[in-house]
Amino acid sequence: MMKYTRRKFIQATGACAALGTLATVSPRSFGQGAKARVIVIGGGYGGAIAAKYLKMADPSLDIMLIEKNPQYVSCPLSNEVLGGERTLESLTFDYQTLSRNRDIKVVHDTVVEIDAAAHTVKLSGGNQYSYDRLIVSPGIDFRFDKIAGYSAQLAEKIPHAWKAGPQTRLLRQQLEAMPDGGVCYIAAPPNPFRCPPGPYERAAQIALYFKHHKPKSKVIILDAKDRFSKQGLFMQGYKKFYGDMVEWVSGANGGIIEAVDPDNMALIGQVEEYKGDVLNIIPPQKAGKIAFDSGLTNDTGWCPVDQRTFESSQHKDVYVIGDACIAGKMPKSGYAANSQGKVCAAAVAASINGVAPSEPSYVNTCYSIISPEWGISVAAVYHLVNGSIVGVEGAGGLSPMDASAETRAIEAQFARSWFRNITSDMFT
Amino acid sequence: MRKTLYPMLALMTTTLGLWMVTGCSSEITKPTQTEAAQTNEEKPASEPEGVRSPSMLANTCAGCHGTDGASAGEIMPIIGGMEKEYMQLVLEEFKSGERRSTIMGRIAKGYSDSEIKAIASYLAAKPWISSTVKTDPKLVAMGKKIHEGQCKTCHDDGGRVQEDDAPRLAGQWPDYTLHYLNDCRAKGMRCQPRKMGKRVSKLSDEELRAMAHYYASEK
Repeated sequence: MMKYTRRKFIQATGACAALGTLATVSPRSFGQGAKARVIVIGGGYGGAIAAKYLKMADPSLDIMLIEKNPQYVSCPLSNEVLGGERTLESLTFDYQTLSRNRDIKVVHDTVVEIDAAAHTVKLSGGNQYSYDRLIVSPGIDFRFDKIAGYSAQLAEKIPHAWKAGPQTRLLRQQLEAMPDGGVCYIAAPPNPFRCPPGPYERAAQIALYFKHHKPKSKVIILDAKDRFSKQGLFMQGYKKFYGDMVEWVSGANGGIIEAVDPDNMALIGQVEEYKGDVLNIIPPQKAGKIAFDSGLTNDTGWCPVDQRTFESSQHKDVYVIGDACIAGKMPKSGYAANSQGKVCAAAVAASINGVAPSEPSYVNTCYSIISPEWGISVAAVYHLVNGSIVGVEGAGGLSPMDASAETRAIEAQFARSWFRNITSDMFT
Repeated sequence: MRKTLYPMLALMTTTLGLWMVTGCSSEITKPTQTEAAQTNEEKPASEPEGVRSPSMLANTCAGCHGTDGASAGEIMPIIGGMEKEYMQLVLEEFKSGERRSTIMGRIAKGYSDSEIKAIASYLAAKPWISSTVKTDPKLVAMGKKIHEGQCKTCHDDGGRVQEDDAPRLAGQWPDYTLHYLNDCRAKGMRCQPRKMGKRVSKLSDEELRAMAHYYASEK
């Protein structure tokens, strides 16, 4: 149980003093008269949920969500854009309903600085805001330096498409422009990375497009790893729907990519060079930039947190959720971020109200669509044991290998309905 | 949790006092973290020590079933506002494997019986929000006839009435109702209750679709 120490008392009064001067810092009325001010940075699967559930937990809190983009494009299901089953528009959301329904102030700007000692954030537009608690949900950033020759600039031509949006569209256009009989290479990253089954679902969706439009073409996954999420189910699905159109090269068999040669459209492996018609490099990853800039990461490149509350191990009153944080056995997935956002919201509300955080409960569910009528899933229920998030024994697991076609079809339907519901959980 | 409530209240009082001393808050509301599952189970040492509250548990459902169980569609059933004991029974059946599922069995195994009860209680207390789906009037009329002839003894008032052995059907997403009916028909006499299994197994594909549309039309 949290103790209200003398130090906290000073912090509380300090925060109040800051409140009095807020009007001079910013014209906005953020925080005036509220019990406490909470700022959430990042409006994705983690941040939007944390903001909403915090307001649900305690309506007297003043909550500001700072998100760079006025529109959000979902990564989950964006592989279906490559397969031709879905438009990017169907994955695009704005924040107006969330803001109106839940009384959350949404600011579209970029945070350039977090001053954890002063409890302030500074925005690129010049505004500065004080907070009592800060929740950071910055997502991922890329380690371009791990693949020689690759960069954010080159990604505009040879896309990673690992943040849904223009690059997803670009990759689709490149597949459309490719001649039949061509090869698309996907360079899959080492662990840990956002959406562990994602590269393999992507291969299936690209193969789906090829099957309909370019049946002599191939998609080849060059993997930094020797095994991957839902591997048995993916390999089974590839074989069933796409025969030898999909190939997977493990790290041990030469899948590790060290460089890119854009002039020759080649990926340089440890042993071989792979010359392709379309290249999709999903680089190794790390926590989003603001986490690095504000000292929330450790030497792993991710953010250590108290896994009960998601409070940063490195900065008090700052919480990190979603792909950027180190969350025990939980994968870096949209559902995991959603679940962490709720646990964190409850912990922040408890902290502000001076009570102990509730015992946490977390869930992850990830669907992958191999073909429009063939879905597979992995699920887990987690709890906290000795400070670490671990799966509840006997629960969770994969779709069975021997499931009927009918079951796979239902799972594909569930995948799409999951998307409807998790995005409605975020944006309404 | 009862035991820890008093120290919590004491702390809250302290906190409120401090806020008032500092005078920076114009509005003080009650803390919200006071819900708790009621359980007396003993847990092995590798298990968490604390009790997971009903909201903490039930919020994990919302990623698939919508905020407070108000599903946004299409094959995900609405579970907010569902009869408590019925929901508890269904979750227990998922957990034991007695009720067939693609994913709910894997998930339900992650909760103790008292946690399942807490989840059911929490979601049952939420409002039922009917789907907004458009229905086909022809199918609705056909479904209504079947309902009146064969279903309404248990699913009265257009499927609005809920009992511990009969869920609300009115306003449910038709894709889900159809999914359930298909499953029931495939099981035939093994579909529980048997009299429902017997009746559903005689219905055609179109008649099942009609049932789904009819119940969706009853908000």
